[in-house]
Amino acid sequence: MSPSYLVKRLALIVYTLFVVSLVVFAITQVLPADAAVMLLGENATPDALAAIRDKLGLDQPVWVQYGHWLWGVLQGDFGTSLRTGQPVAPVMLEALGRSLTLAVLAIALMLVLALPLGIIAALRRGKLADLVVSIVSYVGVSLPEFVTATLIVLVLADWLKLLPATGFVPLTENLWDGLAHLALPVLTVSVILVAHVSRMVRSELVDVLHTDYVRAARLKGLSRRSVLFHHALRNALLPTITIVALDVGYLLGGVIVVEEIFALPGIGRNLIVAIQARDLPSIQAGALIMAATYSVVNFLADLAYAWIDKRIQYG
Amino acid sequence: MNVLEVRGYSLDYATATGFVRALDSIDLAIARGEVLGLVGESGSGKTSLAWAIMRHLPPRAREQGSISLAGQSPMTATEAEIAAIRGRRIGMVFQDPSTSLNPTLTLGQQLAEVLQRHRKLTRRQAWAEGEAMMARVGLKQPANMMRRYPHEASGGEKQRVVIASAFACQPECILFDEPTTALDVVTARQILDLFAELQAETSVASLYISHDLALVSRVADHVAVLHRGKLVEQGEVDAVFDAPREDYTRRLLAAVPRPDHRLVSGKPAAGIEPLVEVERLSVHYGRTPFLSALVGRRTAQVAGNREVSLSVRPGEILGIVGESGSGKSTLARALTGLNRFEGAVRFGGRRIAGRRDMDRAYRRDVQIVFQHPDSSLNPRQRVREILSRPLTLYGGEARIEALLEQVRLPATYVERFPHQLSGGEKQRVAIARAFASCPKLVICDEITSSLDVSVQAAVVELLVDLQRRNGTAYLFITHDLNLVRQLAHRIAVMYRGELVELLDIDDLSTTGPRHPYTRELLDAVPPPREYKS
Repeated sequence: MSPSYLVKRLALIVYTLFVVSLVVFAITQVLPADAAVMLLGENATPDALAAIRDKLGLDQPVWVQYGHWLWGVLQGDFGTSLRTGQPVAPVMLEALGRSLTLAVLAIALMLVLALPLGIIAALRRGKLADLVVSIVSYVGVSLPEFVTATLIVLVLADWLKLLPATGFVPLTENLWDGLAHLALPVLTVSVILVAHVSRMVRSELVDVLHTDYVRAARLKGLSRRSVLFHHALRNALLPTITIVALDVGYLLGGVIVVEEIFALPGIGRNLIVAIQARDLPSIQAGALIMAATYSVVNFLADLAYAWIDKRIQYG
Repeated sequence: MNVLEVRGYSLDYATATGFVRALDSIDLAIARGEVLGLVGESGSGKTSLAWAIMRHLPPRAREQGSISLAGQSPMTATEAEIAAIRGRRIGMVFQDPSTSLNPTLTLGQQLAEVLQRHRKLTRRQAWAEGEAMMARVGLKQPANMMRRYPHEASGGEKQRVVIASAFACQPECILFDEPTTALDVVTARQILDLFAELQAETSVASLYISHDLALVSRVADHVAVLHRGKLVEQGEVDAVFDAPREDYTRRLLAAVPRPDHRLVSGKPAAGIEPLVEVERLSVHYGRTPFLSALVGRRTAQVAGNREVSLSVRPGEILGIVGESGSGKSTLARALTGLNRFEGAVRFGGRRIAGRRDMDRAYRRDVQIVFQHPDSSLNPRQRVREILSRPLTLYGGEARIEALLEQVRLPATYVERFPHQLSGGEKQRVAIARAFASCPKLVICDEITSSLDVSVQAAVVELLVDLQRRNGTAYLFITHDLNLVRQLAHRIAVMYRGELVELLDIDDLSTTGPRHPYTRELLDAVPPPREYKS
């Protein structure tokens, strides 16, 4: 992997974010909302509205507004929320932090569960263990999140009273309490992730176990264990990396239902609130931050790919 | 004493409808320093025998008889004992080094792991020993080769690494499963030389499995002919080749292409206008990536063909030979409009300057048959649909049944799917499809290379017959020099994208080749030995 590739990829990320910023800004412009009215309320006088429009630059051409906004973004200033009057960036970054905590924990739990399950299913193909894993993962994939979430709350919080059902405590404040509050949402999203990643690992590993090079390794006298860990797994896990990178996207924006059920103020939930309130700066900042995170994670996945499979050369 | 001995060995596979016999009362023995060639066509059970000896059988296998290795029977060994025998006492060299090596591990790791496993060397000792092994199998810069990944080495280099790991622990017996089939003729020759050298040096007992009789006659002391799971004939190479006792052996020997046995008589009429003239045709692969184009940088393009000029007369068979990557298929793809090209093609007096000029008339007149019928026939279409497509496209007069008859397939095949046909039958359907539009030129791109010798002989005979009846010209692309010398009127030799020599078949036997590469190719494949029929 050449340094020039890294530069090119980073440039591509910047370019992507630029396009995203254009699209997001354009969409917020066509939303049926007048920022001045949102700020001052329905009963504001025309004079007051005109004054605030002038102050915010709302009467200027769209591209000038975009330029102002972009210039601010480049300096880390995403504007102030129309809803709360607070700067947007810290709020969104804090929400992103909560979402990433959820994502990292869910992916860690998923890897711990899904890899062994997929490996066992592949090694015991057609046997009882394989059947159990595939039925469980079918159920996991097909149950909607709110059903899984409700079931988990019912069992772990309501009946067994092991864990708190809702709320969020920052990990920095109280690690154990924080983890306890995160446990249920992490479990909920993990069910879905484990289900589809274990299926993926299973089918990839089944394919790899049938390749000539795995047979060649067995016929060199290597033990089953060493063939599995040394020869087969690294090839079978490659596609899993892609899946994990795509899951990060899902965990950031797609788990609004879960965040809602568990009252977890992640970036998805923040974005919904912003959209309902027509809080344009918040929407723009949230969308851009999500896109940036997603791009970076995918970039890291590509690097991991090339690190494991040396045939992949980026130039 | 025999190193490997197989006595009365039968193998059945359990299927839903009962047992299927794969091997039937096999008897064979290999002594120290001896090479036994095991010859058979696909499905004859040669690979099953190799798996049985390696104790790599699926659970549904049922065995009878005995296999013994230096007097001990691996058949009763536990899994751990078998793992200790594999690689240590019996080595194996596989057919295709590009699939038998793990793409994500270095060549050195894959060689050293055998030494660590069986000779209990430390990682560092194994690495040093591996480097020595690499040097011994003729790899230059062994230290560098140890660190390379499979995709960074050529086919021949990779096969040398596989051979090195088979010989690494000085086994008593090595199984070679078609070790040169996936390689170019020149590379294959070098690997065979290496085999002979190591064989003499180590006096290992070798079982050399191949479908290629001519090749086996050169490497083996004894030969065993396997047909539908039975050993039909066995004996010293000279005895079997000079006086084959069994019908099947005779048929196999007769199917081996011999350059002195011409299948095509006469020559295309001289003096008339050529059918196709290829003028300085070049093909470049590789596009400038979007980002590089943005910054205005041009990336190096790979030349698939460099200014190739040749012509084909009506009814002529022009053979094209060369190693893989020499641009044979690239030329075929350019002439059928599958590749962008520079230069021009003159067809029947018309100038074709690019893909846009290839109209319906051109496409009707120029047809192609590909190497693998499995991928060139749509698996979801019946033979009827496959053959009716060109008929509706080009409005031929022929009926589907007549097309099938032309390629000697029964008319009842129209309702069959490709998977219900054998490899040779599938290739016949592909040939019938090419002939449906009554073309003037048919490009045959390695069309017999995935077929058994006897099937190949029948397909080639069919092609000759079709050529005689329809006066079709062929561009016959192959890597089999003996085959092309039976068929072609002229031979074009390609090397690294360039046409290096264009030989008349008569000149080949009288004045011989001029270009050193042609000579190298011819030397790599000596004509098969004579046998008395």
